Amino acid sequence: MEKLDIPQGTLDLMILTILVRDPLHGYGISQRLAVLSHDQFQVNPGSLFPSLYRLEQDGKLKAEWRATENSRRAKYYRLTASGRRQLDRHRERWTRVSLAVASVLEGA
Amino acid sequence: MKLLHRLASMVRWIVNRNRAEADLDDELQAFVDMAAADHVRNGATPAEARRLATIQVGGVEQAKERVRTDRHGAWLDAAGRDVRHGLRQIRRDPGFSAVAIATLALGIGGITAVFSAFDAVLIRPLPYADADRLVMIWLEMAKTDVTSRHNATPAEWIEWRRLNTVFSDLASSQPGDATISGDGDPEQVPARKVSWTFWNVLGVQPALGRGFTEDEDNKSVPVVVISHGLWQRRFGGAPDIVGRRISLNDTPYEVVGVMPGNFYFMPSRETDIWMPASFPPWMRTNFTWHDAQIVARLKPGVTLQHARQSMAALSLRITAKDFRGPHSVIVVPLREEIAGKTQTALILLLSASGTLLLIACVNLTNLLLSRGAARGREVAVRVALGAGRARLIGQFLAESLVLAACGTVAGLALALPAMRFLERLVPEAMGAARLTLDWRVLAFSAAVTFAAALMFGLAPALRGSRVAPQEGLRDGGRGTAGARSHWFQHSLIVVETALAVVMLTCGGLLLQTFQHLRNTDLGMRSERLLTFETPLFRYKDFDRRAAFINAEVDKVRAIPGVISAGSINLIPFTNFASATFYLLEGQSRDSIPGQVALIRNVSRDYFATVGAELREGRTFATSDQKSSAPVAIVNESFANRHFPDRSPLGQRFKFGSLGDKGYWYTIVGVVKHIPENGVLAEVKPAVYRPHEQCDQIGDLNNGIVIRTAVEPTSIVPAVRQAIWSLDKDQPLARIQTMEELVDRQLSTPSQSSALLAAFALLALLLASLGIYGVLSYAVTQRTSEIGVRMALGATSSAIMLSFGRRGLALTLTGLACGLVLASIASRLLTALLYGFHPDYLPTAAVVSLILVGVAALACFIPARRASRIDPMIALRQE
Repeated sequence: MEKLDIPQGTLDLMILTILVRDPLHGYGISQRLAVLSHDQFQVNPGSLFPSLYRLEQDGKLKAEWRATENSRRAKYYRLTASGRRQLDRHRERWTRVSLAVASVLEGA
Repeated sequence: MKLLHRLASMVRWIVNRNRAEADLDDELQAFVDMAAADHVRNGATPAEARRLATIQVGGVEQAKERVRTDRHGAWLDAAGRDVRHGLRQIRRDPGFSAVAIATLALGIGGITAVFSAFDAVLIRPLPYADADRLVMIWLEMAKTDVTSRHNATPAEWIEWRRLNTVFSDLASSQPGDATISGDGDPEQVPARKVSWTFWNVLGVQPALGRGFTEDEDNKSVPVVVISHGLWQRRFGGAPDIVGRRISLNDTPYEVVGVMPGNFYFMPSRETDIWMPASFPPWMRTNFTWHDAQIVARLKPGVTLQHARQSMAALSLRITAKDFRGPHSVIVVPLREEIAGKTQTALILLLSASGTLLLIACVNLTNLLLSRGAARGREVAVRVALGAGRARLIGQFLAESLVLAACGTVAGLALALPAMRFLERLVPEAMGAARLTLDWRVLAFSAAVTFAAALMFGLAPALRGSRVAPQEGLRDGGRGTAGARSHWFQHSLIVVETALAVVMLTCGGLLLQTFQHLRNTDLGMRSERLLTFETPLFRYKDFDRRAAFINAEVDKVRAIPGVISAGSINLIPFTNFASATFYLLEGQSRDSIPGQVALIRNVSRDYFATVGAELREGRTFATSDQKSSAPVAIVNESFANRHFPDRSPLGQRFKFGSLGDKGYWYTIVGVVKHIPENGVLAEVKPAVYRPHEQCDQIGDLNNGIVIRTAVEPTSIVPAVRQAIWSLDKDQPLARIQTMEELVDRQLSTPSQSSALLAAFALLALLLASLGIYGVLSYAVTQRTSEIGVRMALGATSSAIMLSFGRRGLALTLTGLACGLVLASIASRLLTALLYGFHPDYLPTAAVVSLILVGVAALACFIPARRASRIDPMIALRQE
C-alpha cells in the first residue's frame, strides 16, 4: 500500500510524542513511527534529521552518544522540560484541530 | 531567552562545525547500519541489506545538505562558506579574475573619485547654520549691454529689509581688498565690507570674540573681524588678538573677533578681513550705486518660489520711478551660487563614471555567463548532491560580491590619484578643499559594490543555477547554455557598445569645445607676461596717484630682462563688472537705459606691452595729459554697436552718472577684443582711457603688466625691490603670470573634458574587451563544430569570416543605437559647451571609425584563432 505523506508540521509533534517514554536514536524513531502509524507513515533521514537538529537547537531535545542494545554507538535523543511543555501545548492544539476538522467533515 | 539560546546554538554550530559535521556523518552512518542490520535479520544477504538500507535513507549527502540548510544560522554559515568559495574561485582562475577585478576597479574607482568631488561641492553641508535656507539676491536688468545680473544697491538693501515679507533678515557685503601694515611686511589681503546683519543671516558667530553691532556699523566704528587663517599666519595665533589694534589701509582698527577655521563665503577664495559696511548717508538713498551683494535667509515655511515672486513684485514697486525703468530680481540658492558651473560639470562626470561602471558590469555579466556555461558540470554535481536553487543563487552572488569587493579595493587605490586631479574642480569660493576618502565616500563605494555585484551577478546566477543535473553531467562538461543564451549575451554587447559610443561622442564634443576655448582669441599675447596689483589707498590725491603709477611703470621697466611694462586699473580677465552708463553725443539721458560699457584706465604703453592689436586710429601718447583734451580708445564691440558702417574716430561720449559736469571723451582708436570680464565670457563694449585723464571716476587699485624676455617669475624679487624702493609700505598683491591666470579660468572645462575623455577611452577599451571576450568564448565553445566544418572542406577564410561577421554585426548594431542616443545626449550637453556649437556629424564619424577599427581588431583575434584550428586536434577533443 502507498505510504502517506506526513502532514505539514506534525512531524515535530510525533517525534516529541515518541520520545516521551524513552530516549531513542534516529533509526529507532523512524521505526517506531512506522509501527505506531501501522506502516502508514515512513520518514526518511532527509526529513527526520533536519527536524531533530532543529528541535535540539531550540532546546526541546537533548542528544548524547550511547551504546545500543546491539552494542553499536548511536546518538540518543531525550525530551527536555521545555520539550515536554511544547508537546503538551501542541498536543492540545492538535486535538482541537482534528476534532474541528472531523466535525466539519461530518456536518457537511 | 529563546533568542539567546538560539544565538548560542548558532555560535556553537559555527564554532564546532567540523565536529558537528562529523557527528552528522556518524549519525547517518549509524542509521544505515541499523537499517541494514534489520534487513539482514529479515533474511536478506548482507550486500542486499546494504542496498535496501541505502535506498531507504534516500541519499546521505542530500540528507546532510537538508540538515545544514534547515539549521538556525545556516545562512551565516553558508555565506561564510560562499565567500571562501569565492576566494578559491579567484585563485583558481587568475586570468579571469585579473580581468574582472581590473574592469571593476576602473568602474568603481572612477565613480568613487567623482563622487568624492560631488560630495564635497554639492552634498557636504556649507559652513552656515541651516544653509539650505540661504539665498543670494541679484538685480535683473536685462537691458544693459554688460550683464543681466547686477549687484543690488545699499539703498535697496535698506528698503528690502524694511518691506520684505519672506526673509527673516538680509545682509549686504562687498568684496574688496585691505592692506595690513605695521607689524611685518605690508600685505594686501582679500576683505569684505559687510553689514552688521551678516553674522545672524549666515548663522555663524566668530569663534573668538564677537561680530560687530548695528551701532558700530552705523557709526563707522573701526572694528574688524579677522579670519582664522590670518590670525594664525600673521599673528601666530596670539590668544590676546581680540582687543588688539591693527593697521588696515593705514587706519587703526580694533580686532573684535576671529572667525572659525572652516568658514568661507563667496566669491573670493580666502577672505581674511570682515569690516563694517558703514554706508555713508548719500549711499543709503542712491539706487544707482550697484555695490551690494545680498545674502538672505528665508523665513521658516517660505518656499524659494514664493520668495522669488514676492521679491520680484517688491523690487518692481521700489524701482518704479527709476530712470532706467523698473527692474526685477534674481533669487538663487547660495549653494548653487557657490557651486556655479562646477555643478553641471560634476553631474556630467558622475553620469559618465556611472555609465563606465555600467559598461564594466555588462562586461562582467558577459564574462560570468560565458564562464557559468563552462561550469555547468560543477553546478550539476552540486545539484546532484542536494544543493537547492536558492542555495546556488546565493553562492553565485557571493562569488560576485567577493569579486566586486576585490575590485573596490583596487578601485579605491585608483581613486586616490584621480581625486588629486579632481580637487582642481572645486569652486574657488570653497577654497582649497582637499578631497578625502571619508566615511561618506566609503559608504558610497560600499553601496556601489553591492549594487554592482547584484547587477553583474544576478543574470549569471539565475542562469547558472538552472541546470538539470542529468543534462549537465551527460554533456561531459562542455558548455551547455546553447543558442538560447546567445541573444542575451549579444544584446549585452550591443548595449555596452552603444554606451561607449555615447561617451566617446560626448567626450569628443567636450574636447572640441575645450580646444576652442583654448584657442579663444584673448586679444593679446599671454606668454611671458607677469602681472600684479598695488592698492593705492595712500594716494587719494589724483596727481600724486598718477605720478606714483608712472613711477611704478618706469621702475619696473628698468629691471634687467624686462622688455616693457604698462598699467591697467583692473588686470584683464579678472573683474566681472566695473561698468558704467555712458551716452554718445546727441543721445538723451532717457533714451539709453541699458547702455553700459566696461571702463579701464591704462598707461600709455599698456597696449604695446600686452600685444593688443589696434584696428584703427592711434594708441595713447605722451601728449594725452590731464590738461589736454580727454581721449579714449574703444573696443570693436563698442565700435560695432554704435558705428557699424563708419569709423568711430573723432566721435565723443561721456559718462552718464556725472551729468553735465562729465568730460566729453573723443575716440582716438579702436582696439581688438580683449575679454576683460573673463576668458570664457562674452566680449562686451569696453572703453579705455589714459590714467592721467581719469580724475573723474578713478580707481584706488592699480595693476601692473610686465612683458619679459626671461622667465617671468624669475624677476619677482627684483619687482618687489623696485616697488618698495618707491614706497616701503606698498604691498604687492596677486603676483601671477598671465598664463596662470588664463589656465585657472579654463580649469573647469579642461579638467572635466580631460576626465570625460579618459572615461570615454576606458569605455571603448571595456566595450572592445567585451566583444573580444564573447567571440573568443564562442570559438572555444565551438571548437569541435569548427573542426567538423573544416574536415568537411570549409576553408579557414570562410570560418574566419563567419566569426568576424558576427562580431561586426554586433558592433554596427551597437554603433547605430549609440549614435541615436549620443545625438540626444549631446543636446543635453549644450549647457557645458559655453555657447560653442561643435560639429556633431564629424565627431560622430570619427567616433564610428575608431569604434569600428577597435572592434574589428577585437573580432579579428578570436576569428583568426578559429580559422587556425586543426580539425584533427579539435575532433580528438571529443
